[in-house]
Amino acid sequence: MYKIKLDHFEGPLDLLLFFIKRDELNIYDIPISSITKEFLDYVNLMKMLDLEVAGDFILMASTLMHIKVRMLLPREVDEKGEEIDPRAELVKALLEYKRYKEMSDDLAYMESNTRKISFRGNFSADEKIAVPEYEILLKNVTVFDLAKAFKRIIDEVKEEPIHQIKKINVTIDEQIEYILNLIETNVEVHFLSLVEKMKEKIRIIVTFIALLELVKAGRIKIKGSTDFNDFLLMKGDE
Amino acid sequence: MERIYHSVIEALIFSSDDVISPAEILRAVKGIDGEDTQITTGEIDEVIDLLNKNYEEQNLSFRILRIANGYLFATTKDYSKYVGYLSSEKSKRRLSQAALETLSIIAYRQPITKPEIEAIRGVNSDYILNTLLEKNLINISGRAESVGRPLLYTTTDEFLKYFGLNKLIDLPKPREIEEIMNDEDFIEQKRKIMMNSLEDSMENEISHDENADQT
Repeated sequence: MYKIKLDHFEGPLDLLLFFIKRDELNIYDIPISSITKEFLDYVNLMKMLDLEVAGDFILMASTLMHIKVRMLLPREVDEKGEEIDPRAELVKALLEYKRYKEMSDDLAYMESNTRKISFRGNFSADEKIAVPEYEILLKNVTVFDLAKAFKRIIDEVKEEPIHQIKKINVTIDEQIEYILNLIETNVEVHFLSLVEKMKEKIRIIVTFIALLELVKAGRIKIKGSTDFNDFLLMKGDE
Repeated sequence: MERIYHSVIEALIFSSDDVISPAEILRAVKGIDGEDTQITTGEIDEVIDLLNKNYEEQNLSFRILRIANGYLFATTKDYSKYVGYLSSEKSKRRLSQAALETLSIIAYRQPITKPEIEAIRGVNSDYILNTLLEKNLINISGRAESVGRPLLYTTTDEFLKYFGLNKLIDLPKPREIEEIMNDEDFIEQKRKIMMNSLEDSMENEISHDENADQT
């Protein structure tokens, strides 16, 4: 199989700029017909070589053909009565792209300059493992020192804390029963007194859900209390 | 400012593992010697020049650089070969043309959205933006108010460091379109067109005059 090296273009604008530079074309007076042909030849070449032709190239090809058609039609006129060049937008896009392409050359130059210097930093890589100096380590050490050290280590070992998890058996049905019983015996029940003696958070939550269920079913009624954080429960109408 | 601070500033920059800002140096000095210590960021900046002059006179292999709004020690270019030989950091690949192009657009137009970048480049830029984000050369600074609230991209301090810049304004200015238009080859081309159209209009006028004479 033949291997053909294609110049690498960053995109359709890059390719167009290449044509313009190579053929020394005037960017303000692009011969649309010939450049469209060249562009399409290139796209076909890409297809022939089984390269994936990016949608961007197809889009540019159709833009070029559109401009070509508009060139043949009578010129449109803008508000000032001046003729609109169908190529104007393409020219603007080319110049804009050219501008940043030039700047990327500057960046590449700066990149290669910065690569020549090394910043101080990278401290973690600087860290060296200290070579232990055995002589110093072993100076004046007695059996008692060892025993002392051993005891200190043993003392310092902390016990693993154990967390016990208790399962709390509480169901919504149970709590419904509990609330209804309370309301049967007392006419009005304060919500706070309902949950006051409960120690586990989950029990309070389940009780509250039970309460909501009862209100929804219309079996109890709720009345605001003078105490801002509290409310009264009483028997429902049904 | 007392002369002792020359060495203090040098020590602070030397011991910092990344770019150290003048504000941080000020904080350290005032934290130790009191808030009313006579020292300003401007003076710190002057000291950097003095220190660098010292290094140069003594032919030392490093300088203090002004990078990403702060200071950082760096080796001089003269030793790049030797330093690079051992350092894996430098074996990193250079940025691709596409990456440089995209960066230059973001650097100059930030904050900028992906659709705006793609409009200038004329190609899909998803992949390249992700690569630049991964390399921490750009980041997302928010969302634009325009339709779809697209993400806004800006360059990072890492970008400044990568290109050895102190501030964004140190970037080379992209040539204005007018300037590109004033380029020699463009001027020549423009002159030709002008001449042609001038000739055209002159011919028109002449034929106009001839017509006028006839009537």
